[in-house]
Amino acid sequence: MTDAVPGLLTSLPEAFDEGPAWLRALRERAAGSLRDQGLPTKKTEAWRFTPVRTLVDGAFNRGDDGLPRVTSPLPDGVTVRSLRDVLADDPALLENRLGRTPVDHFGALNTSLFTDGLWIHVAANVDVGSVIELDHAAVGPAPSSPTVQYPRVLVTLESGSEATLIETYKGELSGSLTNGVMEVELGPNASLHHVRIHEQSGLQVGYVDVRQDRDSRYHSVVATLGGALLRFDVRVHLEAPGAQCQLDGAYFVDGSDHVDHHTLVEHEAPHCHSAQTYRGIASGRGTAVFDGIVVVHRDAQKTEAHQENRNLLLSETATVHTKPHLEIDADDVVCSHGATVGSLDHDQLFYLRARGIPEDLARAMLTYAFIEAVVDRVADPATRERLREAVLARIPEGEAIRGVT
Amino acid sequence: MLKIENLHVEVDGKPILRGIDLEIDAGEVHAIMGPNGSGKSTLAYVLAGRDGYEVTEGRVLYKGHDLIELAPEARAAEGVFLGFQYPVAIPGVSNIYFLKAALNAIRKHRGQDPLDAIDFMKLSKEKAALVQLPDDLTKRSVNDGFSGGEKKRNEIFQMAMLEPSLAVLDETDSGLDIDALKVVAEGVNALRGPERAMLVITHYQRLLDHIVPDVVHVLIDGRIVRTGNKDLAKQLEADGYAQVRDGMRP
Repeated sequence: MTDAVPGLLTSLPEAFDEGPAWLRALRERAAGSLRDQGLPTKKTEAWRFTPVRTLVDGAFNRGDDGLPRVTSPLPDGVTVRSLRDVLADDPALLENRLGRTPVDHFGALNTSLFTDGLWIHVAANVDVGSVIELDHAAVGPAPSSPTVQYPRVLVTLESGSEATLIETYKGELSGSLTNGVMEVELGPNASLHHVRIHEQSGLQVGYVDVRQDRDSRYHSVVATLGGALLRFDVRVHLEAPGAQCQLDGAYFVDGSDHVDHHTLVEHEAPHCHSAQTYRGIASGRGTAVFDGIVVVHRDAQKTEAHQENRNLLLSETATVHTKPHLEIDADDVVCSHGATVGSLDHDQLFYLRARGIPEDLARAMLTYAFIEAVVDRVADPATRERLREAVLARIPEGEAIRGVT
Repeated sequence: MLKIENLHVEVDGKPILRGIDLEIDAGEVHAIMGPNGSGKSTLAYVLAGRDGYEVTEGRVLYKGHDLIELAPEARAAEGVFLGFQYPVAIPGVSNIYFLKAALNAIRKHRGQDPLDAIDFMKLSKEKAALVQLPDDLTKRSVNDGFSGGEKKRNEIFQMAMLEPSLAVLDETDSGLDIDALKVVAEGVNALRGPERAMLVITHYQRLLDHIVPDVVHVLIDGRIVRTGNKDLAKQLEADGYAQVRDGMRP
C-alpha cells in the first residue's frame, strides 16, 4: 500500500509495462484520455447534480481490488476464473472481450488501474437453472484510512445460454471508494437476468456496460438503498436486430444520502426493444438523480423504446433531479418517456385511514407500494424476498408492513 | 347511536353545513337526499374525519362520545364506516392485503387477536359472495382498474368485512345501472340489523326503492329542510327539489 495522495489521477503510472500488448495498449488509451480530459468536474453535464469533487479530490490509499465472492454452487457449463489468472495463462481469450467498449472518466480509471477481477463464462446453450450469486461485501478488518478499489468483472453468455446473476453490496466502507466496472457480453439469443442490491453506505461509482448480439435479452434490476455518494451507470448497446433490454431500478435516499443513476441505451440495429422503469423515494435531506438517455441510430428502424422515472418525495428537504430523454435519428419508431415527482396521495391516505389503518402504517403501505412494482420484476422468488426485506428495512415504518403480510 | 347537534362546517373558510340536527338510533336506516352542492358529501366526510373540513359550531356525538376529536382510523376502529362516493384506486396495494391490515387494526383496537390467514380467507370468501365480488377482484390492487359497479360492490364488501356500527353510504348508487344497483342494495340490506345504524346519502330516489329507509331528510343549502318517512322521497321525485326549496321560502 502506498501513501495516500490527494487526487485520484495522481495514481496513474507513466507507462504500463505488465501484461499482454493489447492490454497495455488498452490501459494506455484509457490513461491517455484521462490525462487529456481529466476526471469530471461539476461543469461536466453528466455530473451536474452529483458532487464529484468528493471523489476526485479525495485522499485514498490504494486498497486491495479483491475478488467478489461467488457464494452459490456453480452448475455445469459455468466457469468463473480470476482475470489475473486468465491474463497470465490464456491472455488471447480476453483480447476481444475486455474493454471493447470504451468507458469514459471513472470507467477509464478502472481500465487503467484494475489489477484483478472475475470472468464469469456461461457456455453456449447452457440454461443455468440456479442463481449465480456474487457477494461484494468487504472481508476482513476495515482499513484504518480510506482506500480506493477498482473491481472488474466480465460476464460472457455464449449463444443460446440463460443465466440469473445476483450481486449484493453491503458493508461499512464509509469514506472508501469503490470504482467498479462490469462488462456483459450476450451472444445471439442469450438471456441474462441481472439483479444488484446495494446496501452499502460508502462512496461508489459503478459502470455496467452491456453489449447485446442478435435476439439476446438483458434484464437488469438495480436496488440502491441509500449511501453517502453512489453513482451507477448502465450502458446498453443493442448491436444486432431483435435484441431486447429492460432496465428497472428502485432507489431510496434518506439522511444526507446521495444516489445517482444514469442509463444509456444505444439502439444501433433495427427491431430492437428497450424499456426502463425507475422508481425512487427521497426522504430526509437525501438527493436522488435519474438521467436516462435513449439514442436511436439512423438505421435502427422499427425500434420500440420506453422510459419512465417516477419519484416520491417524503420530505420538503429531499431533492430529486430527473431527466429522461430521447435522441432519435430514425423515422419508423415507437418511443415514449416520462417523469414524475410527487408526494403521497392524500386521497389514498385518507381511504386507508378511514378503514381503520393507523396513519404510520398507511404511509408505509403507500410508500412501499410505490416501489413494489420494481421489486416484483425480480423473477427469482428467493431474491425477490431478499430485496423486499432490504427495502422494508429502509423505508419509514417498513417494519410495520411485515406484521400484516 | 349518532347525534348531530347544530353542526356548522366550513371548507376553505366557506360555510357548507349551516346547522344540521340529526339523530339516528341503532337499527334505523336514514336517507339524506339533496341536490348537488347541498352539503351531502361534506356531511359524510365530516363524519369520517377527512382533513380540510372545519367544524365551527355544534357537535357530533357517536355512542355518547365526541366523534370530531378522533382521527379517521380511530373512528373506523370505533365502528364508523364511510362508503365512498368515489372509491380511491391504490395501485400496488392488493385489496385483500389492505382489508387484512384494516380488519386486524380494528380487532387490535377492540382487544381481539388478529385473524390468521385461513380464517381471514374464509371470512372474505363468505362476504365477497354477498355482493358477488369475483375472487380475482379481491386479489387485485385496491379499486385499480375496477368498473364503477365493481368499486361500489367493493365498498359494500369492505363494509361486510369490517362490520361497522354506523355505516355512512355516500351516493353508493350513483353511476350504477339497475342490475348493479340491485346487487349493491341487496348487500346493504343483508347488513341491516338491530345493532347497526345506516345513513344513506343519495341524489336519486331510485336507490330508496331498494334500500327502504325508516326516515328521509332533505338537505338543501347546508340545512335539513324537511324530514319525513319514505313517502317524502317519492314526493321529491314527483315534485323536484325546487318545489321543496320554494316551499321553504316565507
